[in-house]
Amino acid sequence: MKMKHVTALAAGILAAGIAAPAFAQEVLKLPNMSYRTGPFAATGTPHMNGQLDYMTMLNERDGGIGGVRIAFEECETGYNTEKGVECYEKLKSEGALVTQPWSTGITLQVLPRTNVDEIPMFAPGYGFSAMQDGKTFKWAFNPPTSYWDGASMIMQAVADGNLDSLDGKKIAFLHLDHPYGKEPLPLLEAMAGTHGFELLPIPVGLTEMQNQSAQWLQIRRERPDFVIMWGWGAMNAGAITEAVKTRYPMEQFVSVWWGAHEPDLKLVGEQAKGYRALSWNFVDSESKLMQDVKTHVVDAGKSQLNQGAGEFDTTAYQRGILMSVILAEAVEAAQTEAGTPMINQEQLRKGLESVNLDEARLAELGAEEMMAPFAMSCSNHTGHASAWMIEWDGTKFVKVSDLMTADRAVIDPLVEKASADYAAANQPWQMNDDCAE
Amino acid sequence: MERLHSIFVAPFADMVAAPDFFLQVVWEGLVSGVLYALIALGFVLIFKSSRIFNFAQGIMVVFAALTLVGLHERGVPALLAVPLTLVVMFFLAVAIERVVLRPLVNQPDIILFMATIGVTLFLIGLGETIFGGENKVMITSELGIPTGSWIMEPFGGFVSIEQKDVTAVVGAVLLVIALLVFLNKSKMGRAIRALGDDHQAALSVGISLSTIWVIVWFISGIIALATGIVWGARAGVSFALEVIALKALPVLMLGGLESVTGAIVGGLAIGVLEKVFEIYWGQPLLGGNTEAWFAYVLALLVLLVRPQGLFGEKIIERV
Repeated sequence: MKMKHVTALAAGILAAGIAAPAFAQEVLKLPNMSYRTGPFAATGTPHMNGQLDYMTMLNERDGGIGGVRIAFEECETGYNTEKGVECYEKLKSEGALVTQPWSTGITLQVLPRTNVDEIPMFAPGYGFSAMQDGKTFKWAFNPPTSYWDGASMIMQAVADGNLDSLDGKKIAFLHLDHPYGKEPLPLLEAMAGTHGFELLPIPVGLTEMQNQSAQWLQIRRERPDFVIMWGWGAMNAGAITEAVKTRYPMEQFVSVWWGAHEPDLKLVGEQAKGYRALSWNFVDSESKLMQDVKTHVVDAGKSQLNQGAGEFDTTAYQRGILMSVILAEAVEAAQTEAGTPMINQEQLRKGLESVNLDEARLAELGAEEMMAPFAMSCSNHTGHASAWMIEWDGTKFVKVSDLMTADRAVIDPLVEKASADYAAANQPWQMNDDCAE
Repeated sequence: MERLHSIFVAPFADMVAAPDFFLQVVWEGLVSGVLYALIALGFVLIFKSSRIFNFAQGIMVVFAALTLVGLHERGVPALLAVPLTLVVMFFLAVAIERVVLRPLVNQPDIILFMATIGVTLFLIGLGETIFGGENKVMITSELGIPTGSWIMEPFGGFVSIEQKDVTAVVGAVLLVIALLVFLNKSKMGRAIRALGDDHQAALSVGISLSTIWVIVWFISGIIALATGIVWGARAGVSFALEVIALKALPVLMLGGLESVTGAIVGGLAIGVLEKVFEIYWGQPLLGGNTEAWFAYVLALLVLLVRPQGLFGEKIIERV
């Protein structure tokens, strides 16, 4: 009798052992390298909530993508590059279909491994701008628009469309002293040379994020015509507070999309009126997309968002939703192309190259007012979506421009050079020779 | 020659040419210095009484500030939220003593230091679970802290003084005076100092280690709350405040780990000098952000001359 039990148990364990891998395969592993702790959690958390909630919504509403449920596991990096690399290795060993490094520093660190590991890297709205070159960066994607695209659009906005009007002007570039903060410098330096403005880079260290008096004393002394901010985490709130204290004219203070974060502006409220940010997304809480998330996830009690703080209506949360929309579109494209719902990394890579969020598709998703259309391809891993300039009116952000586009004539030669330099510095570097475009 | 001019002449010429701006730089440095000194005080107090380097001081600042704001968000009036936060900090001190420190009595210092890292990680998790990770607005005006600014016009220019910074400086001075009176004049304060001087001797005359540890951690909690209010009023309350604790390390190296005076002088010296160096030498000559390393270099230079820091005790161990 005892022997019978032992045999049955052994058989059970064996069966479970055989069945487990098969069962484990029946989810789409789309993990995220998140940071809900540390000095960058304030801006990271709402983005990660948005990303997670859209995937949860697909699981709840549609049973996943193509009938396969999504496993959206998070690995906490604290925005720390070393921890990010550990997370990358962990997720790789677990069979992740994609990695989302969520930091330009981590992106740059793991970028050389993508060609070896052959796992797509998805860095929506961040990362190394030259990743747009799909022929060189076969496995890396940074849709819908890159930092160099963003810097180009901001410069056009501050120049009112006439870049030559910046001749003789002084532009301060207040940035996090981190690979992310330095990313737009090559483009800005090139533009300064061409259009005759003086670029004044002002770095902000990690321990100075909440005490930027030295940086803003420099701004007071130098009296720049514009301050362009490339900040993240607590740096943005610190800068906005100091700008108010220094009485720097808010209409001359412009940020990249990460600075469009309502809780940071609410710290100073009316006093930040006129502050602008370039943003590739815009809040539309009544859209079909957001209402689906509300119905299936938020109201169902399956979201981690802070409802009391109005997080659902923030630019950051809804940007996180759109990030997952792009990834889900890639998965769907990959499934269609592969003819099977269970895709592998190479198929997802091709799916990312097939993403086409045109007006019709955005309307179908119910996100036509939330972002501009774009498409990626084999050679174009960014998509170069247009963006709006949005302005803080004292209580919320409002659109103050039509959709703007980046100046490809300036950016593309820089991308070509940066890609070639990167490939040369990382030999042997596998180019995507199949990419004929 | 031009290089030498930019190092030895131009910065001083700038100071003379725009004295109002120089005054503003010194004021901002002083305010930063007061805040560094406050954080350093928390470290000193615990080290003085128990020889524990409390890695958790930074997160205690965040936790205290979040508790205060969190209580207010839940409808507790601001002036009631302060004592309630102190109650929370007291129970935290009791819990740390009971759960972490008491079982580790007589363990090497490094073990106790590692235990405070554990406390840090626990408080990060607990704080984020209860209060979330987003930026919160410090309840500055609700606490009666003025939020306007005074504009003075010396030398034909202007100096802007934030009223909340003045409040921070006055508050910090009062806190330090109270602390010095407590440590030097009260029986309990003398017991803390006795424990810091010699554990065995203090225990042999009946001083209770557990009681002293709870009191010291609670006082550090009070300092953490004061620091959290002041820093939070400047740029909001978030977990980023935790990294500011790193600024206390060079202050401690400069001033000495056991000295309250050292923490204050060290904090003020580093606050002013790093600001002046950044504005007049760092930004024009080194590309800026010298505040990230200047304080450490200054502390290292002091350590070369006085390894125990400016006000630290020189320990002679007999073998």
